[in-house]
Amino acid sequence: MSLWLLQDELTKTRAFVFKNWIMTKRNVFTLFEILFWPLVAFLSVGFLTEFAALQPEMKAFILVGVISMSAVQVCQLDVAYALLYDVWSKAVKHGFAAPVGIRHLLFGSLIVGIIRGGTVFVLLVAASYLLFGFDFTLPGALPVAIFVLGLFLSAAMVGVFVCILILVFGNRAEVAAWSLVSLMLLLCGVYYPVSVLPAWVRGLAEIIPLTYFLEYFRLFYGFPPIFSHVLAKGYGMVIVYLVIEVFAMKVALQRAKRTGLLLKLSE
Amino acid sequence: MNFAIEVRGLTKTFVSGWLTRRKKEALTDVNLSVPEGVFWGLLGPNGAGKTTLLSIISNLLIPEQGEVRVLGKDLRKNATEICSRINLSSGHANFLWSLNVRENLEYYAMLYGLSGKKRRQRVEDLVDLFELSEFAKVRFDELSTGTKQKLSLAKSLVNDPALLLLDEPTVGLDPDVAHRIREAIQRLHREKGTTILMTTHNMKEAETLCDRIAFIKDGTIKALGKPKELKNELRLGDTIVIVFSGPLHAESLQGLKGIYDALQTSDSSCRILVDDLHERLPQILDFLIGEKVFIHDLRIEESDLEDVFMAFAR
Repeated sequence: MSLWLLQDELTKTRAFVFKNWIMTKRNVFTLFEILFWPLVAFLSVGFLTEFAALQPEMKAFILVGVISMSAVQVCQLDVAYALLYDVWSKAVKHGFAAPVGIRHLLFGSLIVGIIRGGTVFVLLVAASYLLFGFDFTLPGALPVAIFVLGLFLSAAMVGVFVCILILVFGNRAEVAAWSLVSLMLLLCGVYYPVSVLPAWVRGLAEIIPLTYFLEYFRLFYGFPPIFSHVLAKGYGMVIVYLVIEVFAMKVALQRAKRTGLLLKLSE
Repeated sequence: MNFAIEVRGLTKTFVSGWLTRRKKEALTDVNLSVPEGVFWGLLGPNGAGKTTLLSIISNLLIPEQGEVRVLGKDLRKNATEICSRINLSSGHANFLWSLNVRENLEYYAMLYGLSGKKRRQRVEDLVDLFELSEFAKVRFDELSTGTKQKLSLAKSLVNDPALLLLDEPTVGLDPDVAHRIREAIQRLHREKGTTILMTTHNMKEAETLCDRIAFIKDGTIKALGKPKELKNELRLGDTIVIVFSGPLHAESLQGLKGIYDALQTSDSSCRILVDDLHERLPQILDFLIGEKVFIHDLRIEESDLEDVFMAFAR
């Protein structure tokens, strides 16, 4: 790749960083997303573990879940926002009339997502240590890094899926930006191990990468994984899903251009 | 001759509804060739297919059938390259609401690959060109309609396009702002030779700005050419109204060359429809003097593009 092409790619990716960053800065709502809701969710669950006088390893199990979910939720929102901000501003056509690709949208918005999700993560990790005496860094820097990377890739996967739904069903699909993660909360063993799920639901949990990343990290707190090769499965799945999703989003975009939905989203 | 736009056999149908599918044919076998450097107007009633055609050319809609070549290249195969060399501005412009004028321009400049000093300079030039300095830090949702439209035009020039697509650029603007927007568009076309394809409902605007016009109705192009050619094609001509005294029967004028119609409206007045006012007026005056008709009053009613529009829209 020539230097000029590399610069072109970086500039177009930076455009999405720029957009998401400024929209984040200017909207009070996004401050709530980073500070208010994650903290409220975390504190209420944290105090519940205190009230229930849970064993330290059980407390760790639940707090790992709640911290992870908050980081994933905030990060995936940013990927979905890359399209949603244009939909809400009715400016979709101007973005897609420009010579940009899905990769620019995905990477640009994911960078801001990682910054925002990372902020939530650090905040909650610090709060869990100070308020509940839970040390998230106990497994060491490398396992934490592997786990957090898995979380952000999972978030990207959810965010792109929301974008695909919007390109297929229009802005009524925006509800998916907030509800898909809740579904994962139910299925992936955030507050409980997936072993407690009915067998047919467990089948669904097995096709979600986040299940494996949570299993991997809880291993360090004394919970042996139910599944084998959790990291290989988690990373393998999330990468395959992302590749499929990028392709599916291209198809959805072409479809939106055929049906006229892309223009309707700008009206 | 090089063409900025070549459209052949373009057909676009919209399908709506999930259970009962409704089909609406927006374009049917449309052919259009726009030479480079020409200011081309696309006129037609609401729902005629103007915006659909513009959207296909700007790669926002995919047609069922037909070939679209933009700046000499097949749009389907070279979409990204073509998109980097064209741009679009539409009436009732919408941009990211929380970004101010300068930030919106910066954002779109980045989407077109402009970086560093070049981008900053381009944005500043556009802010100056469209007199947006005092609004540079105003958020988009706080701008007036006119300023939003100026921003829309400024945005459409971030990549210095070889082809500019304008979709009703002055719709909903007060006359003063509309006039300034028109001036800016005209200046751009004159100074840079940018090819422009513009849709409009404003016939005066089309007549002032456009070198060539295409009339589109019910998804098909009904006529195209220079405004004067279209008037002649429709035999719209110009009208001469004469108030006179003397022995004149309007019917006697019909034998003269270039007279479409002559109608006696009263004992002392008539309306004469001619193909070309400047050529026919001296001829008619000679005739009337020869007939010893005394002319009390003479009024000219030149037909304009609006008459052409009405004729095609009917």
